[in-house]
Amino acid sequence: MTKNVDAHPITVEVVRNSIVAYADEMGNALCKAAYNMMIYEVRDFCCGLIDTKGRMISQNRGGLPIFLADLGVAVEDGIKRWGLDGFKPGDIMIMNHEVCGQHLNNVVIYAPCFVDGELVGFAANRAHWVDIGGMRIGFGSSLTTEIFAEGLQLRSLKIYEEGKRNETLWQIIHDNVRFPDASLGDLRAQVASCQLGARRYGELIKRYGRATVEACIERIWDQADRAVRNVIEKIPDGIYEAESALDNDGRSLDQPIRIKVTVEIKGSTMGVDFSEMNPQTHSPLNSGKSGGIAAARVAFKAITSPDLDVNEGCFRALDVKIPEGTIVSAKPGTAIGLWSIALPTTIDTILKALAPALPNMIPAAHKGDMGGCSFYGFKPDGTRFLLLNIFGGGWGGRPSEDGEDASVSVCQGDVRNSPVELQEIRYPIMVDEHALRDDSGGPGKFRGGLGVRITYRTLVPCKVTINCERTRVPPWGLAGGGNGAHNAAIIKPTEGPERIVFKGTEIPLDAGDRVTFLTAGGGGYGDPRDRTRDSTSNDVAQGFVSAEKASEFYGWTKTVAPKVRSA
Amino acid sequence: MNIVGVDIGGTFTDLVGCIDGKIVTAKCSTTPADPTRGVADTLREAQCDLPQLSEVLHGSTIAINTVLERKGAHTALITTRGFRDVYAIGRGNRIEAFNLWFHRPKPLVERRLTFEVTERVNAAGEAIVPLVLSEVEAIAKEIKDQKIEAVAVCLLHSYAFPDHERAIGEMLRRLNPGLFVTLSHEILREFREYERTSTTVLNAFVGPRVSNYLGTLDSYLRGENFGGKLHLMRSNGGVMSLDQAKAQPVSMMESGPVAGMIGAGRLAQHLGLEKCIGFDMGGTTAKSSLITNGRPAIEEGYVIGDHASGQPMQLPVVDIVEVGNGGGSIAWVDGTGGLHVGPRSAGADPGPACYGKGSMDPVVTDADLVLGRINGDRFLGGNMSLDKAAAERAVDQTVGKPLGLGTKEAALGIATIADNNMSLSVRAVSVNKGVDPRDTAMIAFGGAGPLHAIAIAREIFIPRVVIPKLPGTFSALGMLMASWRQDFVRTLVGRLDALDTTLVERVFKELAEDGKAQMQRDGIGNDIADFRFYADLRYVGQEHALPIPITSPTMLTGDQSRVRELFNVEHDLRYGQSALEEHLEVVNLRLVLTAARSDTIAEAWLTQPWTPTDTTEETSRDVIFDNPEKPLSTRILWRPALPAGFTFTGPAVIEEPNSTILIHPGDKVTVTDAGHLIVDLAGKEA
Repeated sequence: MTKNVDAHPITVEVVRNSIVAYADEMGNALCKAAYNMMIYEVRDFCCGLIDTKGRMISQNRGGLPIFLADLGVAVEDGIKRWGLDGFKPGDIMIMNHEVCGQHLNNVVIYAPCFVDGELVGFAANRAHWVDIGGMRIGFGSSLTTEIFAEGLQLRSLKIYEEGKRNETLWQIIHDNVRFPDASLGDLRAQVASCQLGARRYGELIKRYGRATVEACIERIWDQADRAVRNVIEKIPDGIYEAESALDNDGRSLDQPIRIKVTVEIKGSTMGVDFSEMNPQTHSPLNSGKSGGIAAARVAFKAITSPDLDVNEGCFRALDVKIPEGTIVSAKPGTAIGLWSIALPTTIDTILKALAPALPNMIPAAHKGDMGGCSFYGFKPDGTRFLLLNIFGGGWGGRPSEDGEDASVSVCQGDVRNSPVELQEIRYPIMVDEHALRDDSGGPGKFRGGLGVRITYRTLVPCKVTINCERTRVPPWGLAGGGNGAHNAAIIKPTEGPERIVFKGTEIPLDAGDRVTFLTAGGGGYGDPRDRTRDSTSNDVAQGFVSAEKASEFYGWTKTVAPKVRSA
Repeated sequence: MNIVGVDIGGTFTDLVGCIDGKIVTAKCSTTPADPTRGVADTLREAQCDLPQLSEVLHGSTIAINTVLERKGAHTALITTRGFRDVYAIGRGNRIEAFNLWFHRPKPLVERRLTFEVTERVNAAGEAIVPLVLSEVEAIAKEIKDQKIEAVAVCLLHSYAFPDHERAIGEMLRRLNPGLFVTLSHEILREFREYERTSTTVLNAFVGPRVSNYLGTLDSYLRGENFGGKLHLMRSNGGVMSLDQAKAQPVSMMESGPVAGMIGAGRLAQHLGLEKCIGFDMGGTTAKSSLITNGRPAIEEGYVIGDHASGQPMQLPVVDIVEVGNGGGSIAWVDGTGGLHVGPRSAGADPGPACYGKGSMDPVVTDADLVLGRINGDRFLGGNMSLDKAAAERAVDQTVGKPLGLGTKEAALGIATIADNNMSLSVRAVSVNKGVDPRDTAMIAFGGAGPLHAIAIAREIFIPRVVIPKLPGTFSALGMLMASWRQDFVRTLVGRLDALDTTLVERVFKELAEDGKAQMQRDGIGNDIADFRFYADLRYVGQEHALPIPITSPTMLTGDQSRVRELFNVEHDLRYGQSALEEHLEVVNLRLVLTAARSDTIAEAWLTQPWTPTDTTEETSRDVIFDNPEKPLSTRILWRPALPAGFTFTGPAVIEEPNSTILIHPGDKVTVTDAGHLIVDLAGKEA
């Protein structure tokens, strides 16, 4: 229908840039008006425009990478339920049901976009609410065993009907979440962001006509698809496999979780097969199918088109095979509170499988977990607080350069740690140190990046949830490089001995207790003995690598310069 | 009142002055090793008598070049114990989310030169661990031994309690006279330790080089019996005193490019252009800025360098997008036969091949000369004659032969690629922000701007290009219109209904006192000072805040209905919603202190009726536009001779003392009453 409209090249360019600019504008409106750090600092949100078939027209830049063109699933559910003629101008939809495949904190809001009475698309966003009710708070809990303990489910409901707020629904939400001011404040920001996006898209359609805009969008998708296929065609055909593991599901602590992927390159397409992934667990360490698809898409995009804007066309050449019932494709009713935990390792494993096919492109493994902490309790004035933060870690050494230090995971892009000053202004804690973790980078010709060391001291009694991963299978080296140091947390009470904790839900702390988080270093790339002496000497001079480790891994010895005595 | 503005770019130093009610101009080569010489040359060329001048305004790219080239001082950093890696860790974010080969900002200070001191201040501004001065003494000694030239000091929560930073500063300055010391609270009294550290380090890093340069310039001027004021352009679009610039060189980061955008804004107002793009192409770079209702967009901070790995700078700045393409950008061929232009520039020395100084690197200006677009005999007002044969040799040898192209074909390729690169910066401030270029006009200036603007505008469908009077020295002209401006900020966090009245009053008083002290230091009279206070407000629970104008502290501490209303309206305007029933929280208090110029000489000149100043006759020569084989016989006009109301259709070349304007076939040119050129582009068949 739209194919026979010839899109003027400059119009294509205007449309291409405009649709992304609108999504960015939506993101800005949401982020700037948001009430919780998961949105304004962690940027755990995405915004975009969706067409009337549920396809992604555009997505904002700088949101969470794992939210890759997956808003459509939520919108499709609404279209199925209401029918395209079931939407009216002024309607706003709310959706976080498990069919989205992500933990229930991720709430999708979307608004239909009408031009002259005709439905032309939707503006949608997804944002991580600080709380959605249920038995758990913050993130990292391993306690739930089914979705119903994880909070309120809202399936394709109208929170606004023709401009009028649904007060009943509003009240239900208000009364069932722990921080109603924050959650409803975020909801307000999400609604406004969608209204803005719908208005902008409507303006674009009004100016150029629906047929022209849609022809431009098709052209943009086709161009993205072509660019992606050009890259895949250069990868040797073949079947590539890799396997790694997560530590455990947080409940059965001695039971590792298998992460196994098969990647097939064939002509201009890439297939990712998750059939041999671990079956879904009895803990919340599961995601719906969209978790597996997200992992495959992140790896795919990093290889084929890291600098293209995200849209439907970027993924046409990717085929994901994913039977129901694995930890990345859980059945209905399953607990999915820790939906994202397996994704960084899954992505690392896909990349590892492809390393032989792309010898100059794939780095060693990165820190491998989502790197968050949460402290929960009451301030001296009796109000509830929940401190969340995200930490970076080391990235793997690359075929021609060292890995980066202290950077967020492959699942997190423009995600920022929380400034110490901000945390101390807001919460009853002090931070005693925020430093690079020396000696944590995996040895290699190109060394893995360093992890982070951050110590919290509580000023009031409270609880901490810890969720470290990849301690059994630390960030691996490639091409002869060694492993990076793994993640860990250390609790040091004011009295008594300190203890190492990898996973723990709502561990009670007294005022004055300290918790140190040590994030993993990246794996090394290449034989450490091939590392230049200058690089190691500099590492030692700066303190990134201790003299002992330098000698152990790199055969480095301090040469004592002959002393020159002045006369 | 006699004033001059001098703008030092990477290639040229420009001057515009108002002397005895008349506009004078000059353009000379920049001398990178001794930039003061370029200033002296322009003053001489414009026949400015320094003792007669009441004010010299100056803009320079020295600060930003120091950062981009990483050629700043040997710098150390002092932090609170436990936090020496805050600067290296940054915010941990990866802007290029899918790039496995991403790079994050690389610190300007080595880790081994980052020192920790025992001290701690909490969020309430209480010193819970006193500063151990003996450690500072040891660090001061180490700094001396290591021959450190500059030190940045950034302690946790120093915005709330600066005493520890002050004590460190005093000791460092006492023990190491001559050391350039920057204390974070002097630059930015705002929370967020990483951004404050980065801004402080940037200041220290560029400090010695910039303040030496400014000192040299001042000595030169004083030596020539200049008795007036020396003012420096700053990134926020205002000007500051010499002393302020020496202490806060970081605010000179965009000193060069902003002035032209201020001038373009005034011109846009005069012409009634609601949305336009200021485009400034010099010898080294091309810059673009979106101007709405006469005002260039201002950002609260930005990153210097690449968007993903640049250094954050948290001070207000005019929003300008820059690409490394200018008249002096060098064309080169890569191993696979790809032709590139820039970002390396020939600068003023050796300069383009056509300068005849022996360079064999062809630059954009060489290509323009080969194409007949510029006149080798009239370059820089005829002060410098260009060697066309040398240009042809360089183009041929470096680009033509390796690619198997004829000389003229190769020259056209260089010009086309440069235009394409530059259109990206224009795109970044228009299309990428959802502004359709077809709804805008371009105001083009800079020595090379008018030569390339029309091709760029055509490429992205901007229908109209305005070439102001004096395009070649327009940035220097813009300086003569800029206000004196100083921004102050204090973090003060608290709910609006529970604010400590005494504290609020104290902070307002301190801001005003800081402002007055700055005015006194800079000799700004009370009569022209304009104090604008703002409170950064947000709903309780939000993070980002909006600045709301505050006319009296009682708006916060007494009846708050007015401030609530203002905030709700602003929130609704920006984010499409507001929450009338919610509590408000204050985060920062700000003071924007400006003093408008007491004269309007430059603005009046911009709009005053134009009469030709010369009578040179029209000539013609062959110029290559699209086809290297078929040059068009083209009219060559002399701009000073064109009367107001004159109209004609391209192809044409309009020459003037410091710039050349290339009008493509079919484009319509009109000279406005004030003497600006309006070029309406011929439509391209869709």
